Amino acid sequence: MNVSRFRRLLAAAGLLTAAFSLPALAENEKGFKLSDPIGDDKGPGTYTYPTDAVYKPGSFDITEFEVVPRGNETEFRITVRARIEDPWDSPAWGGNGFSVQMAFIHIDTDHKKGSGVQDGLPGTNVRFAEDEAWDRVIIVSPQGAPRVNSEIGLKAAQWKDKIIVPKVTRAQGKTLIAVVDNAQLGGPPQTTWGYQVLMQSNEGFPAKTDLLTRKVNEFEGQHRFGGGSDYDNDPHVMDILVPPDGDPAKKQYEILSKYNHNTKEPKPEDLAVVPMVYPHAGK
Amino acid sequence: MARPWRGLATIAALGVLMPGLAARADSLNFDMSGKIYMKYMYQNDNTQGCLSLSNPFWRDNIGGHNGVCSEFELNIKANVGPKVTAGVRLQSRWGMLWQDWWENGDLKPNIAYPPNSGDTSGESLGQNHAQYIKLRAAWIRMGPPIPTVKWVTIGSTDYSMWNEWTIGKARYIDRDNGNGVFIEGGLIPQNRLDYTLGAMALPKLWAGPGWNTGLSANEPLANLYGTDWAFAAKLESRPIDDLRLKLIGSWTQDWEADRYSPFLTGSPDAARCDTVGCPDHSTKMATRFRGVNTTLEGFYTPSWTDLFSISALGAYSNNYVNPNYATNLVRNGQGFSPVVFKTDANGNPIASTGLAARVDLEFYDPFKIGLSPKFEYFNIGSEYNAIMGARREADVLLTDGIITGGFTRGGQLPTLNVANEFQDWDEPWYETVIGWHGFTTVLEQVVGSTKLSGEYSYVGYNTNMQNRDTANQYPDFLYTHGFTDTTSYTADQDYANVYDRGKDPRSVYDKYQARHTHIGVLNAQVPIATVWSPLLNFKVKYVFDRDNRNLSNPKDDYIGRMWLAFAQITVQPTNELKVFAGYEYSHWSEDGRNGSEAAGYFPARTQRHTARIGMTYAFGGVLAGYTVEYFHKNLLRDPVGGYFNMIWNVWRAKGTVEVAW
Repeated sequence: MNVSRFRRLLAAAGLLTAAFSLPALAENEKGFKLSDPIGDDKGPGTYTYPTDAVYKPGSFDITEFEVVPRGNETEFRITVRARIEDPWDSPAWGGNGFSVQMAFIHIDTDHKKGSGVQDGLPGTNVRFAEDEAWDRVIIVSPQGAPRVNSEIGLKAAQWKDKIIVPKVTRAQGKTLIAVVDNAQLGGPPQTTWGYQVLMQSNEGFPAKTDLLTRKVNEFEGQHRFGGGSDYDNDPHVMDILVPPDGDPAKKQYEILSKYNHNTKEPKPEDLAVVPMVYPHAGK
Repeated sequence: MARPWRGLATIAALGVLMPGLAARADSLNFDMSGKIYMKYMYQNDNTQGCLSLSNPFWRDNIGGHNGVCSEFELNIKANVGPKVTAGVRLQSRWGMLWQDWWENGDLKPNIAYPPNSGDTSGESLGQNHAQYIKLRAAWIRMGPPIPTVKWVTIGSTDYSMWNEWTIGKARYIDRDNGNGVFIEGGLIPQNRLDYTLGAMALPKLWAGPGWNTGLSANEPLANLYGTDWAFAAKLESRPIDDLRLKLIGSWTQDWEADRYSPFLTGSPDAARCDTVGCPDHSTKMATRFRGVNTTLEGFYTPSWTDLFSISALGAYSNNYVNPNYATNLVRNGQGFSPVVFKTDANGNPIASTGLAARVDLEFYDPFKIGLSPKFEYFNIGSEYNAIMGARREADVLLTDGIITGGFTRGGQLPTLNVANEFQDWDEPWYETVIGWHGFTTVLEQVVGSTKLSGEYSYVGYNTNMQNRDTANQYPDFLYTHGFTDTTSYTADQDYANVYDRGKDPRSVYDKYQARHTHIGVLNAQVPIATVWSPLLNFKVKYVFDRDNRNLSNPKDDYIGRMWLAFAQITVQPTNELKVFAGYEYSHWSEDGRNGSEAAGYFPARTQRHTARIGMTYAFGGVLAGYTVEYFHKNLLRDPVGGYFNMIWNVWRAKGTVEVAW
């Protein structure tokens, strides 16, 4: 290959890349990006990972959450501190190319009292404040859509219309990516919307009260998180987003510690209340 | 007299309370779950069974392509105390066809041995067709107040605490067949230094020379597998938050009774003392096989940047076989052996040793244009071998490898003990990477919802050698030349089949080898923004494989070229239903495919068209899947060499239904 031909090929490759990439950069400006501290993947500060080797350090540590509107669809990106792997060979069970992680992206589209859902999805053991109740939740799961929908039908049928299973769910590097039609969100993301991401782990054999979530116990097990309670009063989430004032890790630990430690049969008011984060508030 | 009524009242009160307490204890302490799994198999042939590829050596009567089978699993887990849990798994044995009706597991006297036996009685097919419930797992886990100790586990486990290069995670169907004692602890807080120790029972089968650990058929006098163990230790450290280190060492020990022990030889006379010695009711032990594997891994994930991470692994293996206690299957078994029978220049047995290294560098969209490059360098020594390493369901290299196709997935493993059996036609295949030396570069580009990736790999072979001793030391698995069709098995000796012949993925060594391989792969995943959200998958793959074989013979070169094109569309018409349809075309052009140094080598051309449609359906906790495949394959060979052409027109289907509660 001569030099001029190589240069032409290089230029063509560059143009091709730019042609694909430029719209993404332009759309990115309408979205937003939130950072989350490193090392706060401990729930209320005490949680530990299961002991099996597939749960690599940082696997549930959110470092960044990004919303990228693009035409009629929106891409949601959740980045964690470890490379996302597929140790359980998800294609074998109709999965999406990763195995261990699972996340719930809650969206409050109106920030009004009396609107939306205050309960967390089954297995998360959290709830939301009255004026920050969620109106949509996106399930980012390695399980195939039919399995997720089946679980929704079994365990959260009352919220079926508010739960979104993305049309594309995948992992790239350290990032979970979910692509959702804006029509399912009720329109393109607005600057008034609030978000909360709950980081969980995919459990292929969940308890009958859990929507594909992995339990937190008092002591960690091969496939159970530790540092919580053996009952369902403690929040079963490893990492969340917190509003950007003060020490975010400390704030997360405070938020997730505020549950009724003394009950074995929790009522909704016994659970920790997680906040929505409004990225454009005050701008 | 004291007040007896008080005691009586107490007893009465306890009598009233106890049933209540017991019931509460039951409900709190018993975490039960169950699962039913059913599978339907069809193929346009005359085999019957519920498993495409069963035991390739000892023929059993559960393998076959036509049948329906059911399986039930019951798990019980108990929280015995605050830091003590225990559990069991009960599972029905696989293999009974729905058509078997009342088979009771018995065998009438003189009935022919399966797989071709069977009569109208319920006593013709044996336990495999009786669906008996078996204890598949029993374990106890506790956190005793011993300094540094966090957990002690006794009983069944899947060995997942080690790694693929030492003792690998057991395959799913064996997930808790392994038993041992394990101790996990921490020496320095904050995960600065943790340890895991384990003593594991070896399986009677597969973990040793001849795929066993000493059976009476091999060693009538000395056989002993009840004393065979593997020991392992792991140290994990995070000296700084960004760096994780892991050191694993394993020692696999297969003992036999010393066949010259006076206790085993001579007449059973307690007073006997002969020239060998006096029988003293004790037996010396002799090593049949010893395997040592160690790895040191490092993972650096910098907190100061999100742009990259780097990991590296170094490994060492040492495998010693005592030919006095292990039949040399290189010499006596057509080269079928999971271990090297290495000898020194004088013919004395010595250990086979090997080193391995792997370095991975991954960038995470460094240019912020959705482009993520990955690089991997690998160098696996020609005699690295993890006898207890992962046998399947794992993948140690970045490359797509040689064996993976469009529909067929797979991976690469550092063992001669790869398990491509007890599996169906739609399941992954695995190839050994012993001797591989090269690099892989992968570019991943995400453009909106579209994901593109491209790979180029170069593989040289540390196993390249002239006049290697495949007659006595190095297993060549009989045939080592050419590509393997992993999804159609035939009795034809040149392809992978029920006898494990053909270019079996375990074939590593050849008498004459001067080989290198180029692999190129392009993948695309393209969602279409229209009704039912179709997802298109494309794959194009090219493999160039050249082996100059005997360098003094210019006419024996093997040149293999494989082209593969694959396309599949997946749609989701309803929340519960996902449907796919796909097509794969592959073409293998192989010069010097068949033959021998003496008779010469002859070419082969293979074309394969494969079409699949399938669906998954999930509703209310029930998961169902059904896949139908048709493939047409032509194999054209040179009649001059005495080889014949072959043709395949195969329809086959697999359906599964499962529900867990």
